Amino acid sequence: MIRSFLTVGAFTAMFLGSTQWGTAVAQTKPVVGLESRTPAIHALVGGRAVIEPGRVVENATIVFRDGMITAVGSDVAVPEGAQRHDLTGMTVYPGLIDAFSETDVASDVAGAAHWNSGVMPQRQLADVLKSNVAANPKLREQGITARLVAPSDGQIKGTSAILLTGDVPLAQAVVAPRVAVHATLTVRRRGRGDGDAYPGSPMGAVALFRQTLYDSQWYLNARKAWLADPTLPPPERDDALAALAACRDAGLPVVFDAADERAVLRADAVGREFGLKVIVRGSGREYRRLEAIAQTGRPILLSVRTPKAPNVSSPATARNVSLQQLMHWDLAPENAARLSRAGVPLALTTDRLEDVGTFRKKVRTLIERGLDADAALRALTTTPANLFGVDDQLGTIAAGKIANVIVTDGPLFDTETSIKETWVRGKCYEVEATHPVDARGEWQLLLPELKSESGVRLTLAGESRKPSGSIAWNDEKLKIANVVVNDGSVSFTVAASPWKRDGQALLTLPLNAPAPTEVWSTGRWPDGTPFELLARHTTPFDSKAQEGHDDGEADDGEADDGEADDGKKDAKKQDDKKQDDKKEDDKKEDDKKEDDKKEDDKKEDDKPRALFDVSFPLGAYGRDDSHPEKIESVLFYGATVWTCTSSGVVEDGWVLVRDGRIAAMGSGDELPDAKLLVDLKGKHVSPGIIDCHSHIATDGGVNESTQAITAEVRIGDFIDPDDIAIYRQLAGGVTAANILHGSANPIGGQNQVIKMRWGVLPEELKMADAPPGIKFALGENVKQSNWGDNHTTRYPQTRMGVDELIRDAFRRATKYRQRQADWNRDHRGLPQRYDLELEALAEVVEGKRWIHCHSYRQSEIMALLKTCDEFHVQIGTLQHILEGYKVADEMAKRNVMGSSFSDWWAYKFEVYDAIPYAGALMHQAGVVVSFNSDDAELGRRLNLEAAKAIKYGNVPAEEALKFVTLNPARQLRIDRWVGSLEVGKDADLVVWSHPPMSIYTRCEQTWIDGQRYFDLQEDLQSRQRDQQRHAQLVQRILASQDEMLKPGERDSQEPELWPREDLFCHSHPHDGDDDEHLEQR
Amino acid sequence: MIPRRRVATCLCVLLSIQSVPAVAGPEIPGPPQDHPIALVGGTLHTMEDPPEVGSTILLERGVITAVGKDIRLPAKTERIDVRGKHVYPSLIASNTALGLVEIDAVRATRDLNETGSVNPNVRAYIAFNPDSEAIPVARANGILLANVVPSGGRLSGQSSLMMLDGWNATDMVLRPTVGLHVQWPRIDSTNNDREPTAELAELLRQARGHARARQAASGDVHDLRLESMLDVIEQRLPLFVHADELSQIQSAVAFCQREGLKMVLVGGYDAPRCSGLLKQFGVPVVVTGTQRLPRARHDAYDEPYTVPARLEAAGVMFALASEERFSAAAVRNLPYHAGMAVAYGLDQEIALRAITIRAAEILGVADRVGSLSVGKDATLFVADGDILETSSQVERAYVQGRDVDLDNRHKRLWRKYQRKYQLSSP
Repeated sequence: MIRSFLTVGAFTAMFLGSTQWGTAVAQTKPVVGLESRTPAIHALVGGRAVIEPGRVVENATIVFRDGMITAVGSDVAVPEGAQRHDLTGMTVYPGLIDAFSETDVASDVAGAAHWNSGVMPQRQLADVLKSNVAANPKLREQGITARLVAPSDGQIKGTSAILLTGDVPLAQAVVAPRVAVHATLTVRRRGRGDGDAYPGSPMGAVALFRQTLYDSQWYLNARKAWLADPTLPPPERDDALAALAACRDAGLPVVFDAADERAVLRADAVGREFGLKVIVRGSGREYRRLEAIAQTGRPILLSVRTPKAPNVSSPATARNVSLQQLMHWDLAPENAARLSRAGVPLALTTDRLEDVGTFRKKVRTLIERGLDADAALRALTTTPANLFGVDDQLGTIAAGKIANVIVTDGPLFDTETSIKETWVRGKCYEVEATHPVDARGEWQLLLPELKSESGVRLTLAGESRKPSGSIAWNDEKLKIANVVVNDGSVSFTVAASPWKRDGQALLTLPLNAPAPTEVWSTGRWPDGTPFELLARHTTPFDSKAQEGHDDGEADDGEADDGEADDGKKDAKKQDDKKQDDKKEDDKKEDDKKEDDKKEDDKKEDDKPRALFDVSFPLGAYGRDDSHPEKIESVLFYGATVWTCTSSGVVEDGWVLVRDGRIAAMGSGDELPDAKLLVDLKGKHVSPGIIDCHSHIATDGGVNESTQAITAEVRIGDFIDPDDIAIYRQLAGGVTAANILHGSANPIGGQNQVIKMRWGVLPEELKMADAPPGIKFALGENVKQSNWGDNHTTRYPQTRMGVDELIRDAFRRATKYRQRQADWNRDHRGLPQRYDLELEALAEVVEGKRWIHCHSYRQSEIMALLKTCDEFHVQIGTLQHILEGYKVADEMAKRNVMGSSFSDWWAYKFEVYDAIPYAGALMHQAGVVVSFNSDDAELGRRLNLEAAKAIKYGNVPAEEALKFVTLNPARQLRIDRWVGSLEVGKDADLVVWSHPPMSIYTRCEQTWIDGQRYFDLQEDLQSRQRDQQRHAQLVQRILASQDEMLKPGERDSQEPELWPREDLFCHSHPHDGDDDEHLEQR
Repeated sequence: MIPRRRVATCLCVLLSIQSVPAVAGPEIPGPPQDHPIALVGGTLHTMEDPPEVGSTILLERGVITAVGKDIRLPAKTERIDVRGKHVYPSLIASNTALGLVEIDAVRATRDLNETGSVNPNVRAYIAFNPDSEAIPVARANGILLANVVPSGGRLSGQSSLMMLDGWNATDMVLRPTVGLHVQWPRIDSTNNDREPTAELAELLRQARGHARARQAASGDVHDLRLESMLDVIEQRLPLFVHADELSQIQSAVAFCQREGLKMVLVGGYDAPRCSGLLKQFGVPVVVTGTQRLPRARHDAYDEPYTVPARLEAAGVMFALASEERFSAAAVRNLPYHAGMAVAYGLDQEIALRAITIRAAEILGVADRVGSLSVGKDATLFVADGDILETSSQVERAYVQGRDVDLDNRHKRLWRKYQRKYQLSSP
C-alpha cells in the first residue's frame, strides 16, 4: 500500500548507498532536486541457498525488491527489470545476527529520574544513540547484517535495539527499537573513598533490582489509586518505575549480565522470583555448572571469545598459574558445544571481542571444539531472531523478510571459505570482489639491470586478498613486503639492494582480468625514479600446494600482519600433527593391535578435545562428581569420642551413622553392623567445628558500605561454593559456618549459615534449617573512625549516634508493620510499598530474625542491650565482644550469647582492652561463649583456638571444645541438628590424629551429613592428580603456540574477585593468591 | 621479690589475690641478679643435648655457670624447685614489630615504616618503646628476646635484637644492628625492560663509591644512607631479604652472590622449592610462621605448615618466626607456629631449636643466647609443660639473670573483672 512511498528517497539512497524502509515507516523528507523512483529489484540466481539452518535449496533464485525478500525457490522466475546476479558455485546464507553488543550512551535521561542514578529502564538505546556505529564494514565482512546494541552502564541499563549493519542513517538502521531490558546484578569494584553511591556491592545490586521491581508494581497501583481518588497525596512521579512496568507489560525479556557461571543461576533465581523472561549474557564459564544451567532453560548470549593462554614461559610463571586457569583455557573453547548439546538455547555474539575481524575464525574454533555447524548457524540467525521477537523480519531467507543475506564460496564456517558479498536490506556490500583476479601463483619478472637468464621469479601465496611472497633469481631470494591488492593490481615493496640502491623499491603489477597472463608493470626506485618491467604470470595458484609453501615463508621469519600470522600457526599445527602421527607410526610397530584400536577411536572423532573433564569445582581439589559418594551407613569405632554432651569423652567409642544422621552411639567391642566400617583405634573424634563468624565462600564482597542501614542485602545471594577456603576449612575440621555481612554499617545485611559441602551448587551449600539472621555493628568501623579523612559526615559518627540510628530503625520497622496492617484492613489511602529493608528490620523486631552484632566496647554493648530491651528484641549473638567480659553479668541476665576471638587484641583502639581471658570470664559468668575466626586462615584451626580457653582462664577441656562446636551451634540456633555427637543429629564429625585441641593434632577426615568431604588419603591423591594435570596443560599451551598473557597480566574476561573478608574490621596485609585484588579499602 | 613472683604466676593468682594491691601497677623491670639462683630438678631443654629430666641449672651474675645433674651450688644460692617443670632458653622472635607499634589502626602508635623506599640507615631500637603493653604479653609466653624489624619501602632499615625486660631501650639492646632488611621486588620473568633489582645494584654501586670517596678523605663527603650500607657490603651484617615467591628467592640469591653479600631469607614460603640453591650458597631462612594461608589456590592446604619439615629434610638452615600480621600483638603465639610444624612433620627438638638456638645463630647472637650453655646469658624460663602445647603456662622467667615480672595488662584486667564477678575466693 505504501510501497510507492518507500522509494521516494532514492536520491538520498544514491548517496547513502541504501534502499528504503521495509514496511511501517515511510520517509517524510521532502524531495530535493529531481525525484528518482527506480524500484531496486535484484535476483540472486544459481546459487545454493541455505534458507535456514538445515534447509537447503539448490540452484535457487532469490528475489529482493526494495530491501525485502519477495521470493525464494528453485523454480522462481526472475522478475522483469531485476538486476540479475549469477551465483553459480556460490552459497547464500541468511545474514548473521550478532546477538549482543553494547555501547556507551548518555546516562542523563530526561524526565523524572529514579532516586538511584543506576536505574534507567526508560533509557531506550534507539533514542539516545547518536549515530549508526562505525564498526559496520568490519561486521559485514564477517557476515553480520544485524545486531543487538545495548546501553552499557547502570544497574537497570535501559532497553536495547536491533540495528542493521548497512551504512544508512540510524533512523533507517533500526529494525526493532526496544527489544529487551538490560540489567546487571553486580557492580564494578571501587576503591574506598570514590564510590559512596549505592549500590557499592553486588549484594546491593541484587537488592536494588528486587526493590525496583517491587516499586514499579507499587507505582502502578499507587498511581491508579491516586487517579481514582485525587484527594490522596500523589505518589512522586518516577519515569523509571513507569517505564519498567511498561516493559514488563510488553513482555520484554530481561538480559542479565552473568560474569560467571554462578551469576547465571543467580539471574535465573531472581527471574523466577518475579516471573521474568530471562536471557543471560554469558561469560564462557557455563560449562562448569552445565547441568544446573541447562536446567534453568534460560537462553544464553555467548561471546565467541575464548581465553588467552596463561603465561607458562618460565618455571616460576608456570607454577603461579592455577590449575583452574589452565583447565579454563583448555575447556572454555568447548563451552558453546557443551551448552548446545545440553539443549541450552544459544546465540553467539561479538561481545568483548577485541577484534571483530576475528569473529568467524572464533566461531570456527568453537566448531572445531565440538559445536555443530548447524547449531552455530542457528545461534547466529534463527535463535537470536526468536529471542528478540524479530523472527518475522530476520533470521531466514524467506519471502517477507528483510533482504539480509551473505554470499560465500563454500560452507560458511570452513577455513577456506570466504564471504564474497554481504547484503543488508537489499543492498549489496561486496566483501571481496565477486570474481577477483587472483594474483597468486608464480610470476616471471623481467627487471632491468638484473642479469638472470630466467629472469626474476615472483611467488605470491597466502590469502588472495592479502598474499605474501618473495622474489628469487639464480640462488638469491628476497622477501616482499607491504603487499596490497587493489581491484586490478597488486603492489608490493622489495629491498632495492640487488640494484645497488638503498631503500625499498615499489612495484605494481596491473591485473588484466580475468586471467592475467603477461602485463607491463611499473616500478619506482627508492630515489623516485620510475621504471617499467614486463611481468608474466607463469603458474596459477595451487591452493593445495600452499601448505608447504607457507611453511617456507614462515621460515623466512617475517609475517607482520595478523592474518599471515594465523596462516603460520595453522601450518605449525599441521606440522605438529604430522610429527605426532609419525610418533604414532613408530609406536604402531611395537604394538600394532592396540594402536589400530586407538587409530579407530581417533578417526571417530579427530576433533581436538579438552584434556580433562570439568571437576567440581573446576581446578585443584575439585571432585569428579559434584557430590561425594553416598554411603548408606557408616560405623566409626575404636575412637576416643568427644561428644560435647553430658556423656563427655567416651573411650573406645563408636558412632553409627545412617542416612546422614547419627543413628546410635556406644563404646566397647559390641559393634552394630554398617556398610562401611572405619577403624579409628588411637584416633579422636569430635563434632564438626562450627565457625560463628566467617566471610569465606562469598562471591560479591561482604560489605554494602554505602549506607548506614542495608538490611535489604543478602549474603545468601552471593554464595560461592568454589572458594578454595571451603576445602581448607574442611581440612581443619570445620563443617559449618555463619557467613556474615561486614561491619561497615550499624545495620548490615542478612547472613547465611552454610555447611562446607565442597563441590555442590551455591544453593546446596546453604544450611536449610538455620534460622535467618542479620549483621549489626557498633563502634569504630560504623562510625568510620578508620576510613580516612573523607568520611566524617555520614550519620552516625559517634557511639551516641549509632544507638539513635538503631532505635530509629526499630521504630520505623514497627510503624511500617502497623501501616501495612492498617492498609490490609481497610484499604484506605495509597497502597503500602513493600520495602525490603523494613521487612528485614520488622522481622528483627518480631523475633523472626536473629541479630549478630559486631561489638567491642562495654558502653556500646550496654547501649544495644538497653535498646533491645526497649523493643523486646532478643539478641542472637554479640560478635567479637572483646569487652564482653566487662558486662558478662548483663549479657548472662538477658541470655545474650558471645562469639569472640580467642586472643586478638590491639589492632585498633577499641580492642586495646581485649584480653584472652574474656572467653573464660564470660563462660564463668554464665554466657554461652564461642570462639570464631572472621578469617579464612584462623578458621582452619579453630580447634587450637579452643585450647586457648584452657590456657587463659582454666576452662575445662570438654567445655573449651564446646566453644567451637556446641556453643556456636546454640548461638546460631542450629543445635537441634549439629554441634554435638548425639543420636538424631547430623553426622558432622571430625577424625583427629591426637586430642582435638593438642597443637600436635591433625585433622584426618571430615564428614558432613554422613558423607566424607575430606580425607588425608584422598587429599594426597588429588594433589598427585592435579600436579599431573597442571603439567600436561602447561605442555599443551607450549605446544599450541597460542598467544600467552604477559606475566602478571590477567585475562580481561576474568570475573572480578571481591574480598572475602571484612576489610573494615581489621586492616592488615593479607597473604594468599588474591593479594593484588584484595587491596585495602 | 618473692610475692611479686607469686602474683605473676597464673596458677597462683587465685591463692595470692589478697596479697596484691587492688589494681596492680605496670610491671617493674627486674633488678640485676645479686645472688646465685639454681633451678633444681626440672627437665632441661638445653638445645644442645636431648632434654634431660631431673637436671639443674645455675645462674650467677646474669650468666649460666653450670648445667647438669650433679652440680655444686655456691653458698647463698637460692634454690628453686622446678621438679616436673620444663626449663627452656628464651624463645626468640626472629621477625616482629614488637615495640614499634602499639595499636595497628592508630597512626600515632606506629613507628614501623619510614617514608620513602630507601631507608637502610634507620635503626629499630631507636623507636623501640620499652613500655609497650605488648612486651609483657609476649614475655608471659616465654619470648624474652625479639629481633625488632622495621618494614615497608624497598630498604626498610636495620633490625635490633632486644631483651624484653629493662627500663629503657638502651638497657634492653642485646645487639643494636642485626641486619639490613630489604623487601625484594616481584620478578616478572619475561619483562626485560629493566631488571627489578637494578635499583638495588645501583645503590650498592653508589655506596661502594661513597666508601672509596670517604677513604680518600677528601673533605666534604656525607651520605647517611650510603654509609649505613657499608656493613652489609663488607659482610659484617647480613642482608635480610623478605621474599616468599620462587622467582624472588632465586633472584635474591643470585643478586647477593653477584654483589658478594651475606644473605638471610625472610618469609621463605617457596624456599623448599629451591633448597638446592639455598644450600649451595649457605643461605639460611627465617620462615615467617606456619599458621598462614597457602599462597596459590592449587597449593596443598598444608603447604605453609610443612615448610619447616621440608626445609629440614633438604638440609637448609632455618629459624621459625611468628606470623607477619599483627606481628607485635600476636608474637606471643610463636611457639604454636613451631607446634604446627611438628604436627606436620618436623621433629619436635628441631622445632624448638628453630625458635631458640637456630634463630640466635641466624641473627648472629648465638654467642650470647639461644641455648642453656655455660657462659651464655641467663635468659630463660620455666614452664609447667611442653611449651609448644597451647595449654602450657610460663611460670618464671629470667633475662640475664634478672627476675622477670610475668604479669601483664591482660592478667591485670582478668583479675580486675574476676573481682567484679567475685569468682575469686578470698
